[in-house]
Amino acid sequence: MANRYLEIFCREAEEHLASLQSGLLVLEKNPARTDLLHELLRNAHTLKGSARMVGLADISAITHTMEEQLKGMERGERKVDAPAIDLLLRGADAVALITSALMRGTTPELDVERFVAEYERGELGQHISAEPKEAQPEAHADTVRADVKTLDHLVNLVGELIINKKRLEAKLERLKEIGYALPDQHAAELATFRGELEEDVLYLDYLIQELHGKAMGLRMLPLRTISDGLERLVRDLAQQLGREVQFQIVGQAIEMDRVLLEGLKPILIHLLTNALSHGIEAPDARAAAGKPRRGTVLLSARHQGNSVLVEVRDDGRGMDPAGIKAAAVARGVLDPREADAISDEEALYLTFRPGFSTAEIVTDVSGRGVGMDVVKKNIERVKGSVTLSSEPGSYTQVTLQLPLTLSVLDALIVACGGETFAIPTTYLQEIVKVRAGEIDTLGSGEVIKVRGATTPLYSLPGMLGLPERRDAGDAPLSAVVLKHCDQRIACIVEAHLGYSEVVVKGLGKQFRNVRFLFGATILGDGNPALILNVPDLFEAGRGVQRAPLSAEEVQAAQRRLKVLVVDDSITTRTMEQSILVSQGYQVVTAVSGEDALEKSAQEQFDLVISDVEMPGINGFELTRALRSTDQYREIPVIIVSSLSRDEDKRQALQAGAQAYIVKGAFDQGLLLETVQMLIG
Amino acid sequence: MGDDNSYDIRTILTQMREEYWQALAEEESEAKETLECLVFTLGGKRYAFETHYASEVIRIPKLVRVPAVQSLIRGIFNLRGEITAAIDIRPMLGLPQPEIGPTGRILVVRGDNFATGILAEAAHGVQGLCFDDFEPVAAGSGIKTQFLRGHFSLEEGSVILLDMEALLADPELVAGEA
Repeated sequence: MANRYLEIFCREAEEHLASLQSGLLVLEKNPARTDLLHELLRNAHTLKGSARMVGLADISAITHTMEEQLKGMERGERKVDAPAIDLLLRGADAVALITSALMRGTTPELDVERFVAEYERGELGQHISAEPKEAQPEAHADTVRADVKTLDHLVNLVGELIINKKRLEAKLERLKEIGYALPDQHAAELATFRGELEEDVLYLDYLIQELHGKAMGLRMLPLRTISDGLERLVRDLAQQLGREVQFQIVGQAIEMDRVLLEGLKPILIHLLTNALSHGIEAPDARAAAGKPRRGTVLLSARHQGNSVLVEVRDDGRGMDPAGIKAAAVARGVLDPREADAISDEEALYLTFRPGFSTAEIVTDVSGRGVGMDVVKKNIERVKGSVTLSSEPGSYTQVTLQLPLTLSVLDALIVACGGETFAIPTTYLQEIVKVRAGEIDTLGSGEVIKVRGATTPLYSLPGMLGLPERRDAGDAPLSAVVLKHCDQRIACIVEAHLGYSEVVVKGLGKQFRNVRFLFGATILGDGNPALILNVPDLFEAGRGVQRAPLSAEEVQAAQRRLKVLVVDDSITTRTMEQSILVSQGYQVVTAVSGEDALEKSAQEQFDLVISDVEMPGINGFELTRALRSTDQYREIPVIIVSSLSRDEDKRQALQAGAQAYIVKGAFDQGLLLETVQMLIG
Repeated sequence: MGDDNSYDIRTILTQMREEYWQALAEEESEAKETLECLVFTLGGKRYAFETHYASEVIRIPKLVRVPAVQSLIRGIFNLRGEITAAIDIRPMLGLPQPEIGPTGRILVVRGDNFATGILAEAAHGVQGLCFDDFEPVAAGSGIKTQFLRGHFSLEEGSVILLDMEALLADPELVAGEA
């Protein structure tokens, strides 16, 4: 979370806290003034929403409880007396403590977790004012702090060492050749010398391996560091969706590169959310199907060779291949003729295609039609692969295979178009020899049979736009068979030059948009070799058959789309605005429903994003008002709200909104994906 | 210290101020005279840019071609462990592209975002170019002037001063953005 947003939030919070405080004190003196309650409610509600936007779960939990208490008072179910007011004030105090600690960048002098839990139960519990903390025993006396940058630098230096060792090995080879050319007497002497040198290099190799292992180890963190938050996520989601779920985590101690773990977290959130919303059935439905009422979701991690396998498995309704095919056809992701040709197993992978979703409406929970697509993208980013397996009515299992680290890869070195490329072995199925006679034509492309399966055949230099050297005649060609998700392609290369452990180097900012490449490495001869980004090759392969965009589509893509953001909270407005602007949308903000109606009448927007609870007309009323005009009858509206009940979502849809995002689940990607799905 | 007679704060301050102004004046007069530039050949003509952009000049190592990028990125090379691009800026300046032979060099320059290597037909070292000989670029002179600041008319011919700020910020240098 950018500090900028936190700062805006803290400033906004100060205002709301001040008005909560003064309002509550007036109310305490005049309990009859229930007219004050509405304003207090709005303060608490806005604070809750903004806290969720910036990911401050504790503040959002506290203000949620305050909101519930105030609602109780408003409905007359709760007495407006001193203890009740006291409880509310304590909530406000706690929020003030947390925000001021945030501003200072320190930890609040409050056991926040305990406070939140007690506060939810309506217990006054601990006193907020300075409670001396128990002296923590110094458990980590034998550890030191290290800067992450220093660690990364250390790993890079070890990478340089490996490259240098490779150069030494290449020189040893050269020395052998020199020896052959010498007269026997000198050759013997040189051979002895070379033997000794070889031993030294071997020992150096051993030391570097050890050093590399230790250096990498410093960057490793256990899965536990990200799985703690997941339990809470599953619990909250289960409650929200009315599911009974037992969540198990196996292999919390499995360690992975910090960078990889960071990439893994959003993937797991996505998969678990899917497991709960699409997988696990409602308790009654489960009972009717003869299953235990309580579903099980299992997250497990284990080592396999040089990689980590992470599995998310649920014993829910499973994935129905026929349903998926039908949905894919209905959404235009798949041609009806293609659908018949697809096996049940392949059908599962259709869920990874962009624009696919089996859920009927767009909600914040899942079924945004972009979820699995994003999972796939994220896995590609960390050089992993994903497999799906499912039995309708019994289970769904998603298995992620991830490398232990991204800084060193096992790769196959190939020659292609006069250059040398490294292909990460995670994508490599096998190397085959192909004779011209074995190549068939299918449609506009060429195919070969690999173990009986028809596999598209491309020329790697051709795909990369490099000069091709394809000799006529029946000399066998070398091809590498690459796998990615459920797909296989074969690429012709000039030669394969063996396997090697390669140190991955970034290409730097000048190449940040480059296609086909994941990085570069430096070979034994000191020259760089490019590391191929295999998923791009699959894209390119598909692109061959795809029709080019029509002139209209191109024009539409070039026009900057205009979005109207309506929210009374400045935190929310600023966040949404900067998220959208960063993606090239043009954004206008409105502070209320009335303001929005005025602005939308003045200029045409392509999309409206609105909060629900605002002073004046609310988001639902705004949506209805927009729908009643010719200008905005068809324009998509996204409701972003901290109201998470199904009833609210229904209301939003009845009012004519296309999507509903709950602020609690708010993240930048979610908003963007939804916006992109609606208006591109 | 402590001896009041030998310690006159006024005199010391005056002295310091004078020294300060003098130093400033010296700096200014020096800067007025010459501009430290790296001089090299592009498209048969002599070009230059201020030395502070240059981090080193090297012989051309093996360049590895990068697929699917614009043609001005001629390849990448290993600069002591850093993967660095070699770029041919001659088309950006509207210059012919004679073959780069054994005198060819790579001028490694550091911009705000990245370091990159400019291919040159030859490098002639660092020269102090006199401002008195400088003429700013004339508008509408027909040639591509976007990346030029002007030229120095020297006895041995003219040297064109590149606008490195503009050149290095140009999106055409970034792969996939041209």
